[in-house]
Amino acid sequence: MTLSRRDFLKLGALVSASVALSSCAPVYRRLEGGLPTGTLAPLDARDFIALNRLTFGPRVEERAHFTETGLEAFIEEQLDLEAIDDLSCSLRLSSFNTLGMDANELEGISNGLFDNYDREKVPNELRQATLLRQLYSKRQLYEVMVEFWSDHFNIFVEKGNCFYLKTVDDREVIRKHALGNFRDLVWASAHSPAMLTYLDNQSNHKGTPNENYARELMELHTLSVNGGYSQQDVMELARCLTGWTVKDHFWLGDFVFKEDLHDTGVKNVLGRMVQPSGQREAEDVIEQLATHPSTARFITAKLTRRFIADDPPPYIVENAAQTFLDTNGDIKSVLRVILLDGLPLAQPKYKRPVNFVTSALRTLNVETDGDAVNGHLLQMGQSYFNHPTPDGYPDYSEAWQGNLMPRWQFAFELIRNEIKNTRNNLNELLDVPSTGVLQDEVDALASLLLGAPMERPTRDKLIDSVSSTGATKEESLQILAASLVASPAFQWR
Amino acid sequence: MLQTLPVFHQIPSKSWMPRLAFAPHNSDPRGDTLVVIFLRGAADVLNMVVPHGEDAYYRLRPSLGVPRPDDSKTKIDNRVVDLDGFFGFHPSMFALTDAWTSQQLAIIHACGAPDESRSHFKAMELMERGVDDERGPASGWIGRHLATLDTGNSSPLRAVGMGTLPQRSLSGSVPVSALRSIANFHLGGDQRALVQMRAALSTVYKDDVMGQETLSIMDTLEKLDTDTYQSRMPYPDSEFGQALKQTTMLIKAEVGLEVSAIDVGGWDTHFAQGSVNGQMPNLMQDLADGMAAFHADMQERMSQITVVTMSEFGRRASENGSLGTDHGHGSMMMVMGGNVQGGRVYGKWPGLEEGQLVGPGDLAATTDYRDVLSEILTKRLNNLAINAVFPDHNAQPVNVLTG
Repeated sequence: MTLSRRDFLKLGALVSASVALSSCAPVYRRLEGGLPTGTLAPLDARDFIALNRLTFGPRVEERAHFTETGLEAFIEEQLDLEAIDDLSCSLRLSSFNTLGMDANELEGISNGLFDNYDREKVPNELRQATLLRQLYSKRQLYEVMVEFWSDHFNIFVEKGNCFYLKTVDDREVIRKHALGNFRDLVWASAHSPAMLTYLDNQSNHKGTPNENYARELMELHTLSVNGGYSQQDVMELARCLTGWTVKDHFWLGDFVFKEDLHDTGVKNVLGRMVQPSGQREAEDVIEQLATHPSTARFITAKLTRRFIADDPPPYIVENAAQTFLDTNGDIKSVLRVILLDGLPLAQPKYKRPVNFVTSALRTLNVETDGDAVNGHLLQMGQSYFNHPTPDGYPDYSEAWQGNLMPRWQFAFELIRNEIKNTRNNLNELLDVPSTGVLQDEVDALASLLLGAPMERPTRDKLIDSVSSTGATKEESLQILAASLVASPAFQWR
Repeated sequence: MLQTLPVFHQIPSKSWMPRLAFAPHNSDPRGDTLVVIFLRGAADVLNMVVPHGEDAYYRLRPSLGVPRPDDSKTKIDNRVVDLDGFFGFHPSMFALTDAWTSQQLAIIHACGAPDESRSHFKAMELMERGVDDERGPASGWIGRHLATLDTGNSSPLRAVGMGTLPQRSLSGSVPVSALRSIANFHLGGDQRALVQMRAALSTVYKDDVMGQETLSIMDTLEKLDTDTYQSRMPYPDSEFGQALKQTTMLIKAEVGLEVSAIDVGGWDTHFAQGSVNGQMPNLMQDLADGMAAFHADMQERMSQITVVTMSEFGRRASENGSLGTDHGHGSMMMVMGGNVQGGRVYGKWPGLEEGQLVGPGDLAATTDYRDVLSEILTKRLNNLAINAVFPDHNAQPVNVLTG
């Protein structure tokens, strides 16, 4: 996703070095292939749900493309990452210097005088970049998977040095393997300083073991709580993991295995004798965990819940788990099974805050630098990398249904252009050629946001309720757009 | 093939709706409304609840020490307000004597956390998480309390952090609202746009219980005017006073509030903190006046309310060279409410003599702060899953509350 030299030269003519993000918008749009145009055909309900699972809320052009190619081809295109030109998104991120830095550099720029750390700059850039990628990347399915794995291998940036280590984890663990192989993913995560810090493996020493990471590695990352391990297995794996820690000087923030902190005795994990072999001991166990049948079931069940339904048909999970085992954890192969077999059966899910926000911004073609929007996510309860417990933000509908007010505030402020550096343009978006008929515009908006126009009596009642307050046509359009974003229907995807 | 689908009155069918009810006060399992006041910066508790019966106190604090209750050389307004012959309030906390004499206010002295780091950041984090050290759960103790106690209350205002962001102690529970002020639970914009938006929301949420409840809370809160609110005693015009006043208003409005978390900053008094008057006495006055106003205002409801104050650690027993105090260890908590066995100072007093102090000369902590919180949660908030709230602490009874 980094820009090649050639890309930069190509862009040189378009972008001057120091323009503010918002003034770049036309440039990005030119790169993205112009403003969305064409009529907004209503979408089949199944297709709309499918698109809402494959993306962070479909843009007009994604709808058009999906209608043209169909589900299978759309998925294949999304899985072929390298073939998707994502230059304009990379360009939006080009000013975020910390994204590419190693831990040592990140610590350096966070470390002020007298041990006063700036604990905000690095995680804030990561949060902003995460939102911008979800909004503007054309690799939507990839970004959806990045979000999934960020939940699965949850790290809370407020814990210790995770505030800068998470940036490395995001790049080298999650984004690197999001559509790769599960074994590589869990392997990278186990060697990730952010994870070792977050789950206390730093203090897992010979003689004074700390079971935290060993437990979560089995309970939350691989086998799952009923996946067939015992408390004894946790303790033995913790012994294997003694000495796995993070360098605290010279290449500070890198992974290191400290021989002198390692318990050199024989261990017995999951019924298998582990002979003393230093760092290799835990790595052998990780190999075993990554391809275990319990892991296959657990991971595929979570994926199916994310993409298909809170309570998905078991046979889809079984098929996906079998594919997981057959391919040794090839994520793309597993996804094909879940998406192709499952999406036609998908059930509505309540949008998590991130999904609510991104789908509003994407479908309404909003320009934003992503900064102020993060404040809204925090109010809604889902700021990025801000979930304290290792289970990640919940993925079932009921968890999120209690907090409407911040969503309403967001909808209202968004449409009224009251969110800093965040602009929508309803007239440009709707492009209704001066019919001036409010009903047509509401139909178009509902098509965009909900997939299809509302039933006529419902629509008319909504319009009446607003115009009966004496609202002008301009005011009405704003309010109607805001109320559609705030509406119960738009909270579901 | 085109189906007419997402129409907003069709999509969220009843079966997907969570049950919704604001359980009334003290209907099982919902117990007291809890107000948690956190004094940020490590309050100098030895000058708040002064051990005037300790000679060592006056030796260690020749300039900062607050004169004894019977110190005839000092104006009576500048002396310690005696509580039990050994301890007494700083004169700036005089407002709390009403709550004290009505036995609705108790003090737990020399309490604190096992952490000895004397780092604000670390100590506050651990205390808000309610854990011994870095290893424990990363969520907050209030968050875990809310997550483990199903009161059947789905109000968006079940737990409110007064301020811009929810406190760390609240994390781990969804939803938690941060409320800078009651006016925040509202849609911005001018009145005209507001009326329009209200009308549209009411239409789109016609058949949705949660939406209707949110609208009704919005309407309830809209009628509340913090400027014209009449209290029995005036709340201080400070951020803290206003936060308490808004808590009062939320409780009276019965919008489902179970926990309100309030921060009071400024207690890191290394320099010229003031003995009888000055910087820290002003903070104490703000705290005491606010709590006293709340106590007076909530008189009839006090049997359903528990207030607790805490701070991350205490300060050095001896004053430093710049008429302030440095980071110490043992602290002090106050518990106020209708079911508090008040008018007493609890906790084993470790003393301030040499050999009794710990570390670089600090008050020892003889009661773990979680003993107090556990008692509040079990006896007054009906949470029996206390081991899930404080997993690495085995709570000892303090008996400061009746169950």
